[in-house]
Amino acid sequence: MKWQRKDLLGLRDVSEQEIQFILETAKPMKEVLFRSVKKLPTLRGKSVVTLFFENSTRTRTSFEIAGKVLGADTSSVTVAQSSVAKGESLLDTVKTIRAMQPDVVIMRHPSSGAAEYIANILDVSVINAGDGQNEHPTQALLDMFTLKEHMGELAGKKIIIVGDILHSRVARSNAYGLLKLGAEVIFAGPPTLLPLEMKTLGVQVTYDLDSVLPGADAVMPLRLQMERQQKGLLPTLREYNRVYGLNLKRMEQTGKQTLVLHPGPMNRGVEIESDLADSALSVIEEQVTNGVAIRMALIYLFVGGSANDVD
Amino acid sequence: MWIKNVHLVDPAQGISGIRNVLVQDGVIQAISTDLDTGEQLSDEQALDGTGKYLFPGLIDVHTHLREPGLEEKEDIASGSAAAIRGGFTGIMAMPNTQPVIDQRALVEFVKHQGERAGLARVYPIAAVTKGQRGEELTEMVDLRAGGAVALSDDGRPIMNAEVMRLALEYAKLPDLIVITHSEDANLALDGCMHWGETSLALGLKGIPSSAEAVMVARDMLLAAQTGGKLHVAHVSAWESVEIIRQAKRQGIDVTAEVNPHHLIFSDEDVTLNSTALKVNPPLRSQEDCEALLQGALDGTIDFLATDHAPHTWEEKAQPMPEAPFGILGLETALPAVWQYLVQPGRLSVEKMVEMWSALPARRFHLPGGSLKVGEAADMVLFDPLAKERVSRDNLASKASNTPFLDQELRGLPVMTWVAGGLKQKDRRIL
Repeated sequence: MKWQRKDLLGLRDVSEQEIQFILETAKPMKEVLFRSVKKLPTLRGKSVVTLFFENSTRTRTSFEIAGKVLGADTSSVTVAQSSVAKGESLLDTVKTIRAMQPDVVIMRHPSSGAAEYIANILDVSVINAGDGQNEHPTQALLDMFTLKEHMGELAGKKIIIVGDILHSRVARSNAYGLLKLGAEVIFAGPPTLLPLEMKTLGVQVTYDLDSVLPGADAVMPLRLQMERQQKGLLPTLREYNRVYGLNLKRMEQTGKQTLVLHPGPMNRGVEIESDLADSALSVIEEQVTNGVAIRMALIYLFVGGSANDVD
Repeated sequence: MWIKNVHLVDPAQGISGIRNVLVQDGVIQAISTDLDTGEQLSDEQALDGTGKYLFPGLIDVHTHLREPGLEEKEDIASGSAAAIRGGFTGIMAMPNTQPVIDQRALVEFVKHQGERAGLARVYPIAAVTKGQRGEELTEMVDLRAGGAVALSDDGRPIMNAEVMRLALEYAKLPDLIVITHSEDANLALDGCMHWGETSLALGLKGIPSSAEAVMVARDMLLAAQTGGKLHVAHVSAWESVEIIRQAKRQGIDVTAEVNPHHLIFSDEDVTLNSTALKVNPPLRSQEDCEALLQGALDGTIDFLATDHAPHTWEEKAQPMPEAPFGILGLETALPAVWQYLVQPGRLSVEKMVEMWSALPARRFHLPGGSLKVGEAADMVLFDPLAKERVSRDNLASKASNTPFLDQELRGLPVMTWVAGGLKQKDRRIL
């Protein structure tokens, strides 16, 4: 397959073949990460710009390492976004970045649709590193990569995503991606954070986590933003933990060795207990490594073209 | 001047048919059915109306002209020019400017700016509460004396029900109608499109229909309690239509308007970056569109109104959550309604003219609304075959935030008169 896409804005409009192709490309990339010299000459002289309008050390660092391992020069622009003090418009910021001749622009922004917005302006590729509550495709890809490493093909696998689905771009991207790979996807969460209408995405939705745990192949608790409680969407974190918090005991209900993933950063004691997070079921640290591999694959595909050899 | 052989649509007189209309000294002098007489009267002053419609000038009860204070979006002169190009001879201007129109001097300023522009008749709407803060009532009697034709805190809901009750009570003194922007600010919080399957899929925060309907219901109860006069702006949800229908059955003194965009577009047309369709209340579901049209046809909804809401290009060139709400309306509303509703036979031309001219004039006691003999000749000649591509260059408005930008519309006002004076001919302001 030849990689022809200009941007990766989300998984909503990406085909199964394209997803599989990205996941395949990430495999040799991951091997590079375990070499003693983690540096390829592949993208020497190429410019990768990360443009972050939200704080996210993890994701930004992951992209930067990915670019650097491939030999590209990475530059990061962090724009403190205040809704009160209006600074330069996104349009002008992006035009400024464009004038610096990057080869790929990676952006995180608090507004849904912001990635598509800049992709319409830029001739170079845009990778969405999270836009509002819309999509976070690289997170979903690294989740799928991790799942596939452990369970092979995902067709028919039962995967539960738990928590604040309403506000989660991770849940949306995972739903789009996992469904394309044939998995059974279940959203579980409290009614205030899980509108039943979300089943139109093609997923099953439930308020009752315990009822769907039996037979689950993987469970992914989402990070619970503390402001949800402050805004009245939840009475207390304590009650949330009681109903949706994952721990080893609760996981026994699955009746099998169920993988636990988490997009990070974790709120230990809220959506996940330490006994589970640090257990053999947890693949949370592998996700981080795989995140670099996925981002290497994407930067490579967008900047380097479609040739398959990495060396 | 005779306008000969034209299809006159004047619901106030029950006329819809070919007529000859004589205009002299700015007023309608005669309406003749005798086409032969019309032929005989042909002279250089005659205008051939064959194949065209003559409507009483349209009256728009809901526009934002942005002056004073927000002239980068629009001003009263440019907004009046847009009105004339769109077939509107009278426009009611919302008071959510900077400063808010909450004092008599400001009402008179808006009126005078309208007169200076010398195009459409501009009728100021004054605020219900000082600064539209929803706290203290404005000097409604003085505002009326200065020329205010109605009261509204449009753009900002009056969240305190007691303030709304007091407003409906006190507005009886100057006999002014309170126009409500029915929206529960908490339910609507930070939303940028209709709450539904599309918003959930796109991750765009939704505004539920209940944000409108609970306030419409509240305001009906308060109108019933006080006996005040109410007009519900921009109805968008089927639940609101149902509540208003019930209220009218109970004899509550309420009218309601629908904006063309709520009849023509639904949330299914909204995409991640379609800021031209970002409007408040938001474009709702197909079922809501149907219920709104049904409400218009059965009289639950009284008027068509544009909610003309100009914004600068820069403001709309932002991601959806950050772009301001509002759709330009004056220059595209009539052709859009013609093309999307009248031509397909979903709304009759007579009903359209009634909802956009006769009924608003009657409700707000404005001149016009009919071309009866002796009335001022506020009128529009409409050519159902005229075509125009909507572009930044030909819009008279300062703004261009319309979903019809760069699209061709068919069916246009080709002449507009105010008090017999020709203000627009062949799409150009005179």
